[in-house]
Amino acid sequence: MALPERQTDIGPPKYDAYLPPVIKENYGKWKYHEVLTPGTMVHVAEGGDKIYTVRAASPRILSTESIREICDLSEKYCDGYLRFTTRNNIEFLVSDKGKIDPLLAELKERKYTVGGIGPRISNVIHTQGWVHCHSACTDASGIVKAMMDELYEYFTTKELPNKVRLAVACCVNMCGAVHCSDIAVVAVHRKAPTIDDANVGKMCEIPTTVGSCPTSAIRPNPKDKTVVINEEKCMYCGNCFTVCPPIDIHRPEDDGVAIVVGGKISSLRTDPKFSKLAIPFLFNEPPRWPKVVDAIKNILETYAKHARKHERVGEWIERIGWESFFKLTGIEFTYQHIDDFTFMRDTLRTSAAFKF
Amino acid sequence: MEQAEIQDLIFAYSEKMKGKKKLKEKDIIKKIMADTNEDKAVVKTALREMINVGKLMYSYGGGASSVEIPSEEYLREKGMLK
Amino acid sequence: MGKYETPMLDELEKGPWPSFVTELKKATKVSPMADDELGQLEKSFQTKRGYWKHGGIVGVLGYGGGVIGRYSSIPDEFPGVAHFHTVRINQTSGFFYTAEALRMICDIWDKYGSGLTNMHGSTGDLVLLGTTTENLEAIFAEYSSRGWDLGSSGSAMRTPSCCVGMGRCEWACIDTMDFTYHITQHFQDEMHRPAYPYKFKIKTAGCACDCVAAIARADLSIIGTWKDKIRIDQAEVKNYADKGMDIQGEIIDLCPTECMVYDGGEIKINDVECNRCMHCIAKMTKALRPGLDKGATILVGAKAPIVVGSLLSWVLIPFIKMDPPYEEITEKIEAIIEWWDDTAKPRERIGELIEVKGMRPLLEAADIPPVPQQVKEPRKDPFFFWAESDFDK
Repeated sequence: MALPERQTDIGPPKYDAYLPPVIKENYGKWKYHEVLTPGTMVHVAEGGDKIYTVRAASPRILSTESIREICDLSEKYCDGYLRFTTRNNIEFLVSDKGKIDPLLAELKERKYTVGGIGPRISNVIHTQGWVHCHSACTDASGIVKAMMDELYEYFTTKELPNKVRLAVACCVNMCGAVHCSDIAVVAVHRKAPTIDDANVGKMCEIPTTVGSCPTSAIRPNPKDKTVVINEEKCMYCGNCFTVCPPIDIHRPEDDGVAIVVGGKISSLRTDPKFSKLAIPFLFNEPPRWPKVVDAIKNILETYAKHARKHERVGEWIERIGWESFFKLTGIEFTYQHIDDFTFMRDTLRTSAAFKF
Repeated sequence: MEQAEIQDLIFAYSEKMKGKKKLKEKDIIKKIMADTNEDKAVVKTALREMINVGKLMYSYGGGASSVEIPSEEYLREKGMLK
Repeated sequence: MGKYETPMLDELEKGPWPSFVTELKKATKVSPMADDELGQLEKSFQTKRGYWKHGGIVGVLGYGGGVIGRYSSIPDEFPGVAHFHTVRINQTSGFFYTAEALRMICDIWDKYGSGLTNMHGSTGDLVLLGTTTENLEAIFAEYSSRGWDLGSSGSAMRTPSCCVGMGRCEWACIDTMDFTYHITQHFQDEMHRPAYPYKFKIKTAGCACDCVAAIARADLSIIGTWKDKIRIDQAEVKNYADKGMDIQGEIIDLCPTECMVYDGGEIKINDVECNRCMHCIAKMTKALRPGLDKGATILVGAKAPIVVGSLLSWVLIPFIKMDPPYEEITEKIEAIIEWWDDTAKPRERIGELIEVKGMRPLLEAADIPPVPQQVKEPRKDPFFFWAESDFDK
């Protein structure tokens, strides 16, 4: 069968073709919203029109079969209109209030996970992991599934002092916004890479490879058309592997994950913040990463117990001080916690006023 | 200068640099502009024409993109080489 | 049972959270590729390592992005994923779809691919996971002829993305969805033909809540804001108090600029001192609203840790109007990108370039004056450059 004629540079379809009529009519005229339950909210327009949103989690990896099922549900309850959130949730956009309860009932029957709105955990931002990435040193989907099974109620019902944004990155490239999350997992290596000298000459640009190193640990070896790594300077970021595949950073028995905490992206109350190191290393333990899940649950529940209402994880830690964070969570403080990378001078303490 | 002549120069330069340096579109345009005194837009159009018909192709490695002469495998896959 | 035994992955079908393993298994009904994806993933779980090679050179004729080559490193063992390329489809603004459109996308994908997707990828694209090289031209013809173009990859303008904005949010100070559509169309050539030094991401958030993480994840972050007064509905303030909200404790005391007072009846705001952080508005959705003189703050430079540490975007333009046809903002974005494109080394993001060159060359190139809003504080050490032009003043 002949293929249709391709078009180039057309961009995406214009968004307005996919907006429900009530949104089209009230576009830019929303007055306020109310969270009705952990999985439902209503937005009310200046003129009184309402749009109801029902939010359900997705595992981000979706089969076409599941997408078709979501389509069927949206046709049955919301005239075929739906959207996805920036955190990979599905949102059913319901214009008819009477259809909310039947939709919720069917979602329950089909075992959808409804929730994620308000002061709780929303869906987890994560990367491809072993499912589909060459540089992954853990599996992102696997950790997310294991951790959210354990933290399930914090998505569906339980309240926290404020929103808690979780993320998992399967290497330090961080295709998700791990560096500014409340609690995040990032996979790390701990040993310098090995070099397949014969292939470096064939496959890599030497200056690019040398330039890829943030700590200047790589120098050229022109005689053998390869590079040499100064292991004392290497911080195992793996960027050399990205630009030069014969440099292999993967060591399955030594790789694992770090846990970082206290980041945020909104400007509410305090400026956006980077996440900082809480736990430098935990081993990969597929399929359920029990120590990683326990560590995250411990941090989350310590925050839930001690933070004031509306405090994000990072705001709580800044108020009590990091020394108190380590004391309350019982997390061991190590050499790895003291920065010796580019911004070291900004993180060392310059005051004698602190807590024991 | 005729577009075909510019394209010959572009191809010759790409061939010369093959295996030495991964050329970005900009590297090629700058070099040919310097060699011919042609406008940037003229050189860019000539280059793009070559990419559109598979005389050159965009390549990718280590997170960055470049332009190179296509392999036979690529041309076969696009039905340009039987 | 499927083609392979997957005891470790089967474990992840248990528990209440939606299971990606179940999704992988559903896809095996569509394509045998999904079987081999499952088999290879089980092996990764057993051995704690991935089995994918670096992205190869694949794509559609004339474009330099939108398809990411992915090959198994053990194709003899898992031939179904010998090729398992990613196709990025440019998502709609705000991720709005109809069932009809999504079904069309699924039908084509089932015909040519693995039946697996990401809704959505980290940059925002609708991601189709797993197809072979020989299917790429057909996939592109099928989607583009129906009005859907590829997204971006490589050293290019990456697929712009935004929050839901005016579509369904009362805090949207700018029309994020329309602007994102505009800027995506404006940069079509730069998206599909990677000619930049490295990637360049634009994300647009309607307010400082920043639901699209623009400030952390975009080289150019556009964040909606306002210049005049917060709108107050005092009757609704009273309603919140009547319903038991501790307005003093939850709102007034948490205001970072201490610009608000509450006398037990009304809230008063000294708007000159307000830094528009959004806390009070987000907590009192019915009583407080952003002002009416709306526009955006433009920030530059955010990126993840590679190479020398993660960056959050820095303020460049404190306030700019964002009304259609978006001429001024589009010109500024072009000037910012042109400076970076002309100055950066290969693989250098704009944030890294600013760290090397300083902010001044960019400000001059984009004709943006120095203003205190661009810094947290002035420099501390008495070392600074002078240019000839500074002596003429």
